Amino acid sequence: MNAVDGSDHYSKTSDEPPPSLLTIILDTNPNAWALLSPTLPLSAAIANLLVFINAHLAFNNANKVAIIASHTQRAEFLYPLPAHEISPHINGSNTHNGDVEMADGDEPTVAEETSTDDANHYRPFRQIQSTLLTSLSTLLKTTSPTSLTPTTSIAGALTLALTYINRCTLNASTTSPNPTTTTPSDNALNPDTAPPPLHPRILILSVSGDLAHQYIPIMNTIFACQRLSIPIDIAKISGDTVFLQQASDATHGTYIKLEHPRGLLQYLMMGFLPDQSCRGFLVAPTAVGVDFRAACFCHRRVVDVGFVCSICLSIFCSPPEGAICLTCGTHLQLGEYGEKPAVVAKKKKKKRDMVDGKAKEATVRSRPG
Amino acid sequence: MADTDDEYVQDISDDEVEAHQVTRGAGGGSRATGQGLRGGGWEVTRTWENVVEGADGTINSTVEGLLEAGKRKRLLKDTTPLQRGIIRHLLLVLDLSTAMSEKDLRPTRYLLTLRYTTAFITEFFEQNPISQLGIIGTRDGLALTISPLSGNPNDHIANVQKLHDQEPKGQPSLQNALDMARAALFHAPTHTTREVLILFGSLISSDPGDVHITISALVKSHIAVQIIGLAAQVAICQTLANRTNPSLPLSQTYTVALNEQHYRDLFMRATTPPTTPQSTKEGNGVQSSLLMMGFPSRIVDPSPTLCACHSRPTRGGYLCSRCSSKVCSLPTQCPACGLTLILSTHLARSYHHLFPLRNWKEVSWAKASVSKQTCCFGCQMPFLDRSTNNHRRQSSGAGGQNHDRIALGMTRGQTKTPKIVPKTQSAASKDGVSESGRYECETCGRFFCIDCDVFAHEVVHNCPGCQSREGILQAQAHGALDIGEMEGLEESQNS
Ligand SMILES: [Zn+2]
Ligand SMILES: [Zn+2]
Ligand SMILES: [Zn+2]
Ligand SMILES: [Zn+2]
Ligand SMILES: [Zn+2]
Ligand SMILES: [Zn+2]
Repeated sequence: MNAVDGSDHYSKTSDEPPPSLLTIILDTNPNAWALLSPTLPLSAAIANLLVFINAHLAFNNANKVAIIASHTQRAEFLYPLPAHEISPHINGSNTHNGDVEMADGDEPTVAEETSTDDANHYRPFRQIQSTLLTSLSTLLKTTSPTSLTPTTSIAGALTLALTYINRCTLNASTTSPNPTTTTPSDNALNPDTAPPPLHPRILILSVSGDLAHQYIPIMNTIFACQRLSIPIDIAKISGDTVFLQQASDATHGTYIKLEHPRGLLQYLMMGFLPDQSCRGFLVAPTAVGVDFRAACFCHRRVVDVGFVCSICLSIFCSPPEGAICLTCGTHLQLGEYGEKPAVVAKKKKKKRDMVDGKAKEATVRSRPG
Repeated sequence: MADTDDEYVQDISDDEVEAHQVTRGAGGGSRATGQGLRGGGWEVTRTWENVVEGADGTINSTVEGLLEAGKRKRLLKDTTPLQRGIIRHLLLVLDLSTAMSEKDLRPTRYLLTLRYTTAFITEFFEQNPISQLGIIGTRDGLALTISPLSGNPNDHIANVQKLHDQEPKGQPSLQNALDMARAALFHAPTHTTREVLILFGSLISSDPGDVHITISALVKSHIAVQIIGLAAQVAICQTLANRTNPSLPLSQTYTVALNEQHYRDLFMRATTPPTTPQSTKEGNGVQSSLLMMGFPSRIVDPSPTLCACHSRPTRGGYLCSRCSSKVCSLPTQCPACGLTLILSTHLARSYHHLFPLRNWKEVSWAKASVSKQTCCFGCQMPFLDRSTNNHRRQSSGAGGQNHDRIALGMTRGQTKTPKIVPKTQSAASKDGVSESGRYECETCGRFFCIDCDVFAHEVVHNCPGCQSREGILQAQAHGALDIGEMEGLEESQNS
């Protein structure tokens, strides 16, 4: 057996696709849901979501799910919950190389023994359902009226999702047959070194708009997802968000604006159920146009032509007063603002000729020794 | 240089042979580091003495501590917000002379440089998406263009791949390479940086004229030259780095790579945009100006239309925000009206240089036991408590002052060739590992595990706690948050 065959064979040893981790970010802004309640009340949306989660879990025994609430002012895990719930969850990831008997034999769940009466309910499904409903009602109960804003902390939820995905990826890679000694950032920088032990993806159920205030943190998370090749899927139920569209476009996720919010389950099952390994074979629903506008740093206004500080790349909607950059305090040369920064060297040909000429000259002059 | 012998081991007893780290350079004579370290003679680290058995009789606990120290070491970097030249023009000069066929860096200096260059190109455009890169090679006393100045990483990588078919030969010429770089950077706009990065494996330079005249010309055109040496310090490189970077210490501009990993670190360091001094008007060449840019939206036409850039019929494309001509790809310049068209994600890639996430503090056991936080806020991994972690703490405490050295021993263990101990790096990792395994963000007071610490600082550049705490949105809604944060950071850094 020669080396090429050996390596080729080795890389294909695991014939089943890696399990996928679906991280759902649920926008729980009470204002927005109140507006939506005639067509799609939150309870109905949660019920639809649970069906979708069950379908995802049923796809592969090792599939995992995490649900994060992006509330008006904070982001919180809804499932899994910290401390006692997390340990069976991590154990569950260890068993994906084993077989079926591990699924219910290996989970020392002690907390969720209250609703054992329903014998027809598959246990993992029930566990998620009860945890999700409990934590969601806790979240809504602890919301004070003063913290109600029309926006939602999507940046926090995305950051939490990413740190959680990072943890799960690390756990999965240490249990895989060839553990890599590299750190997570090494994996991030060279995603091609090893086959991914886990297919993570993020799904955002978005109902509120006005995210311009979190422009920088959102962009940071988008960029991180891009590097880690984690697609961000968006189910846009209501509201208008320029940046989420960019997020899904930059990370090759799916963006669907729900025309009929009542049919949420249909959208979820058709548009968002397939994971990365399936998507290669399917024609994904694509957004026709993508709004790539940016938010200015001075008024958080969304602009399509902006003025950019060459030092710190802050975007302004108009030349700042006194020609002083509001972010870095540099005095900017205003007179030049219409001038073109050289992004693509148009006169490349000419320049190269000149450089070559220089080289030839150098050749003539150069005498080693 | 032929007598530089990696495998050469003096007659020491067999069981000690593999543990000894043999420094090189007694034969070559002149291998020294940029920090003034001399790698003369033998240097031995007794890494085995630092490994302490845990209570269970294994060394797992020590190894874990070492891994954590290693992760943390790379993390603790300066988070002072600085002005950086983010729109860059960088020319990479590759030494293609016979000196590059030396095998002291595996597999050879030449092949390793080509491999790292490919990685560098990718990383450079990740970090500096609106910058320009060019590659110049020098051999046989000549300078040649490997890849002309452009913003397309794929072109550069393809051009560098072609070098694999060639052999390094002849002698390098610093002067010719620098002259060519100066000519290529001549047209760079004033608001961009002008940089040259030289990878110099040779100890000589075969120049047609007085290289000092070239250096003076470089200084006059505000071109900053950085050099990574592969063999030993060379006086002319030192002069070159000093004169073209008057405000920077030599250790940042001219360094000799000690081993493969160090070489890579030095090389990748150049992907971070350089800091620019506050006085931008005189002195250095970077001038600040306000650039008008368009953030176009993507469209998909029902039927193909001609694009303005190639006059090819396409369906998808981007419409210029000013004149609505259709272009195929971004970033580019509108062929009709000249407006720079970019994606805001391109700009956003640089924001973490401007608004860096502050380093998180180690949490002591005293503090950790008082706090109610029992698991990492980011990933929910439960923290170890004091009792279960006792044996680990003891072992790491015993090796506390030495773990930096062990960590280095380990990294060197991965690469098989003998290396010089980089002492300056060990100073940075003296502290940094938290005894309780918790790291606290001082802004939001949340505790995080080491993995989240590394991940948040190196990949996401957001603090999960700060982004999801109550009140953050109100603060942001009042606008000027970034300015406030920047000032706050600066104050705390100064105090
Ligand atoms: Zn504005
Ligand atoms: Zn600025
Ligand atoms: Zn075109
Ligand atoms: Zn135009
Ligand atoms: Zn963590
Ligand atoms: Zn924080």
